[in-house]
Amino acid sequence: MSQRNERSTQPESEGVSQWLIHHAARRAPECLSSRLEEEWLADLESRSSALLRLRLALGCCWATMVIVNEYSRIRVPAASPVVAARGYIALADRNFGYFSLRSGTLFLILGLHAALFCGLITTFSHTRELATQPNLPNQVLNTVPIEMTALPGR
Amino acid sequence: MGKKDSNVRMSLQTLRVLEAFLENPTVQLAGAEVHQRCGIASGTLYPILLRLESAGWFVSQWESVDPSIAGRPRRRLYRLTSTGLRRASEVFASFNRGVLA
Repeated sequence: MSQRNERSTQPESEGVSQWLIHHAARRAPECLSSRLEEEWLADLESRSSALLRLRLALGCCWATMVIVNEYSRIRVPAASPVVAARGYIALADRNFGYFSLRSGTLFLILGLHAALFCGLITTFSHTRELATQPNLPNQVLNTVPIEMTALPGR
Repeated sequence: MGKKDSNVRMSLQTLRVLEAFLENPTVQLAGAEVHQRCGIASGTLYPILLRLESAGWFVSQWESVDPSIAGRPRRRLYRLTSTGLRRASEVFASFNRGVLA
């Protein structure tokens, strides 16, 4: 009962979790898509809090990336009994990218670090430029007439 | 990994999953139950389960409930195969001998 009340108070997060799982399952290999969606939705039902459900959904998105990456290079056993009767399903010709997941993650991290470094350098140089600028406005001083007086004794 | 009973890359998470099943080799566990026992995040857990299944260490089947009656989707239940039990036992035995399989 408490789970139901908690879920009813947070329909948005529940909808987001279900949408994420549906989206993740759709991106999985065709032979696993429906199986994973039902399996993950069943797992989602067993999670009580909205945070855990959202965490599961995000994990499923990551799992899909890993599964797609692995299954794009190998043959996998069938997901359902119907498909299992046909034996293995070849997915070797499904190439989902130029880089592996690990390489892509590495490039992403390197890119973020480079962007952060460039941003810091730009900000630092700009700040330094402002700090070193003389804060002296150009003013035209009025000329003061100098009276030349003879020195005593001359 | 493509062939049955092929070698599985043994990560710490994979060992924890196998350990959960070795506690009672005949039991069928759903992903959520494995998560509860191991504490492995779903993003890591499900690829491991599929990897072990594709290697022939696990078999899986839907639980025998009607989703319309149960009011929830069916769970996918995983169980160690005899091959998986033998190989997992070998892996843990090799750890006891101090040799990484």
